[in-house]
Amino acid sequence: MVDILEKLTIVVKRGKADKNSPYPPDLKGQDGADELTAEALKMGFTPDEVLQKALVKGMHLIGEDFSAGRAFVPEMLMAAKAMKAAMKHIEPFFKSGSVKQKGTVIMGTVQGDLHDIGKNLVAMMIEGAGWKVVDLGSDTSFEKFLAALEEYPDAIVGMSALLTTTMVNMKGITEKIKEVSPKTIVMVGGAPLSQDFCTQIGADFYSPDPQGATEYLDALVKSA
Amino acid sequence: MKDHFTVHLEPLGKKVEVPEGTPLKDVLFSYGVEFPCGGKGICGGCRVKVLKGDVSFDERHRSLLEKLNLDFSWRLACQSYVTGDVTLEIGQFDTFILADSSPFLFKPQEGYGIAFDLGTTTMVTQLVNLKTGKVIGVETAVNPQAQHGADVISRIEYAVLQDGQATLTRLVREKFATMIHRLIRKAGGIAPEKIVVVGNTVMHHLFCGRDLTPMASYPFETPEGGACHFTPEELGLKTDDHTDIEFLPVLGSFVGSDILAGILATGMAESKDPLILVDLGTNGEIVVGNRDRILCASTAAGPAFEGTNIHMGMRATTGAISSVTRSEEAIRVHIIGNEKARGICGSGLIDAIAVFLETGKIDIGGRIKGESGRIDLTPEVFLTQKDIRELQLAKGAVASGIQILRETLGFAPEDIRNVYVSGAFGSFINLENTRRIGLLKYPADKIIKMGNTALLGAKMSLFENGDKIRDILQKTIHLSLETNPDFQDIFAENMIF
Repeated sequence: MVDILEKLTIVVKRGKADKNSPYPPDLKGQDGADELTAEALKMGFTPDEVLQKALVKGMHLIGEDFSAGRAFVPEMLMAAKAMKAAMKHIEPFFKSGSVKQKGTVIMGTVQGDLHDIGKNLVAMMIEGAGWKVVDLGSDTSFEKFLAALEEYPDAIVGMSALLTTTMVNMKGITEKIKEVSPKTIVMVGGAPLSQDFCTQIGADFYSPDPQGATEYLDALVKSA
Repeated sequence: MKDHFTVHLEPLGKKVEVPEGTPLKDVLFSYGVEFPCGGKGICGGCRVKVLKGDVSFDERHRSLLEKLNLDFSWRLACQSYVTGDVTLEIGQFDTFILADSSPFLFKPQEGYGIAFDLGTTTMVTQLVNLKTGKVIGVETAVNPQAQHGADVISRIEYAVLQDGQATLTRLVREKFATMIHRLIRKAGGIAPEKIVVVGNTVMHHLFCGRDLTPMASYPFETPEGGACHFTPEELGLKTDDHTDIEFLPVLGSFVGSDILAGILATGMAESKDPLILVDLGTNGEIVVGNRDRILCASTAAGPAFEGTNIHMGMRATTGAISSVTRSEEAIRVHIIGNEKARGICGSGLIDAIAVFLETGKIDIGGRIKGESGRIDLTPEVFLTQKDIRELQLAKGAVASGIQILRETLGFAPEDIRNVYVSGAFGSFINLENTRRIGLLKYPADKIIKMGNTALLGAKMSLFENGDKIRDILQKTIHLSLETNPDFQDIFAENMIF
């Protein structure tokens, strides 16, 4: 009965949260991520197997489609909702310690900016890749990042901006983070950014899409 | 046989050289002529009188003229093509045509007034005889600030982060003075009683020399967004000292006095039934309300409607594909100026997506089917997958903005009497297709293309004592859409076709 994990992978990718959700129309009335996750656990798959072999895989597939232009924001958000519906069943095992997350990523839209859909998409992908995400929301100051870093000293920081007038605020925040915690890795992203800008402000990583961010994070785990 | 002809436009004294077969609509649009019925040939709002030469017309055109009780010296610009050298008088400048095709009732006054629409991209001004209400002169220009960025955010960036505010203010004031001087000179050196200027918040701050720093970041407040008065001397104008120059106040955040003027033009603040005004530009401003309460918001619609960020996008000028239609299996395109296609403008983009949704080439998620990832429209012009994504963001933002404001006021879609569409390309768009792609989800007979409501409202305010403007300011509240907790879900839903 391996195919339940395959089914779960598909419903996560397609964004089918539960049986009652009307989206996507062609899967109407069928089991969604909620039901299939519960069933998989009941069948004896370990939470880690369900996470890695179905949920992470499903999110990876939608991330690939997004990068290639085959899927867009609505499909990503629906997939993330399906992921969240499945995670309800997995989360208790994080707390008990039987499933390990890869690490913690603190994320926020930079101070002065309140556009946070882009940041949310990246946060969902990172969470979907098996990381704990601490989402600080929008208009995030250095002080808020610092407070989160004090709680999670080993965390990686991700910052986003949508406007050319606000992306400049990333520079000061990155510098201050590096000053108090030189080892902290800072990732940046957002529509007006570029690799040049990332290098210029002293951040460690830039990706034009969410998939690049999860791949970078996974490479960090492997090299550690 | 000549392949180019000269079109003389009266009372403007303008001369334009265009290729044979150019639609008159394309020629007149840039001079602020409105097409109230959207070019269907039923309202007569764009009528022109043939003073010299000829514009050929067919049976259908003849019967449209008969229905409108116009003799055969008239033509409907929206139905006409340039077929030879011709001198035309623009009928519309005799009266202001409002959205419902009724002329604006004004109180005749002594003297002359100037209405000035200061746009991010284009500047247009009209000289009005306040006694007769006639437009007796018009000037248009490209905003010289455009060299420092195409959209308002890049202007703010140049002003605030690159210390360019003084440069931008100087550039726009110099161009303003040049245009006003030309208007006055052509009218024989008259002295205007007043000049009313409208523009978005960034244009307001740059023209008036107000600090743009608060507009650079959240919460995007406008403490200095009030009305600004100038003497001619302050702006370097060589005109009579008594001329009062006023830049009308902004409504809040990115919603400026161009929208204030638009509200005036629609009569929203006096209407019992709720109305919607949508300006389809870079900022995608939205206004919903009636005489009790008005809400406004701007959406980060992005410049897709104006052709920016679209791979082969361009403004609605010569060489742009401005409409796409399908008959049987053939796809037909209309190219402005009847020349070889160089790109596609916003209205063409909307049509193209509507047509390819219908053929199944694009699915409801916006994906182009097949491996090529592009759709060819002509041998030169094609659409990319990213173009469709840009349009989804833009239309999703506008549709979400309308929905959130309407729901905040507690109105159902059926409560809305009319949806007024303004903005540079508003006059060209196909309403059925606008609905098909989910940009404006209202029946076509409720949607009215109003053209440049900013200029119209500015002209109307030349006759006002300020009471109506104060009434609008008092009733209107600015709403920040991103702070709505459901924004993300509403936005995502509205991105789907």
